[in-house]
Amino acid sequence: MVTKYILTIFALAISGSLAQSCKNPQVEAASFTSLDATIVTQIAYITEFTLKCDNPLPANYALYAEVEGKPLTAARIAENRYQVSWTEEPSKARAGVHEVHIFDEEGWASLRRARRSDPSVTVAPLLAIQLQHPGSYSGPWVNSEVLATVLSIIVAYTALRSKSMILA
Amino acid sequence: MSGKGNKAFTKEEELLLQDFSRNVSTKSSALFYGNAFIVSAIPIWLFWRVHALEVSTSLAWFALVTTASTWLLALAYRNTKFHLKHRVAVRREDAVAREMTRKLADEKKMSRKEKDERILWKKNEVADYEATTFSIFYNNALFLTIVILSSFYLLRSFTPTVNYIVSLTAASGLLALLSTGSK
Repeated sequence: MVTKYILTIFALAISGSLAQSCKNPQVEAASFTSLDATIVTQIAYITEFTLKCDNPLPANYALYAEVEGKPLTAARIAENRYQVSWTEEPSKARAGVHEVHIFDEEGWASLRRARRSDPSVTVAPLLAIQLQHPGSYSGPWVNSEVLATVLSIIVAYTALRSKSMILA
Repeated sequence: MSGKGNKAFTKEEELLLQDFSRNVSTKSSALFYGNAFIVSAIPIWLFWRVHALEVSTSLAWFALVTTASTWLLALAYRNTKFHLKHRVAVRREDAVAREMTRKLADEKKMSRKEKDERILWKKNEVADYEATTFSIFYNNALFLTIVILSSFYLLRSFTPTVNYIVSLTAASGLLALLSTGSK
């Protein structure tokens, strides 16, 4: 009897969550990444997106994100508008496309469940946002002092060489 | 090369003496001191902007070190020029003589002695000019290299004031010392 009740509640919960999940999601995303690593200690990645669904979404519709295995929470900043952001060490920040996988509560729970048995498993996300990071500027290739030293040594060498040629 | 000379010497002897003397003309001296001052003052910028040396509290040091370094560098210029001048004169002798002979070929009235005198004078002038400019270049190049090396690498861990004083005096002192050697 108790089992029957539990099953019913579970079924209700599933149907409830199914009713809540976004159908035919459409997303418009804008993103920002830090480009100058000389003045910051961490590279920031921010993507803001507007989610459009065929069905109306509840006011507290929560979204979760995963970027390269890192779990994140999407902050809700306005109606149907979310923001995902994270930071990385400049040495680890890789240039190129970063795939942001967005999950709803249900997808997130199934991902966590699947991960428990196999940590490398992937679950199809609700939507995926591609965040382009063109790479950050971490200062010139050659330090100005090294350049100054090299140039001055070349000039000094020329001077010494011509002096020895005159005195030879 | 002053026109005034000792009456006991002939003009040729006087030129010869001047050629071998360590003294420099006022013009040359002004050039040396002016250059030495500029080069000694340039590192102030390096220490102020790059090594973040407080300017207002170090003005006395700037004045002192720049003066000392100017004097030492001018000494180095003079000594280097003295060593180089003869070698330059020897190297340029033939070319100068050839050029002057060609130039004076039309002057039929000029005596052989005067022509030789002119050649000697020109040789002295060329050697003086070349030795002066090379001496300035040589010492400036070495001075700035030593300053950069010592301020960025050897004395990096010291405070900017100590770095400034030691770098500049060491660089100019070393050059002055080296210039007194025969090589």
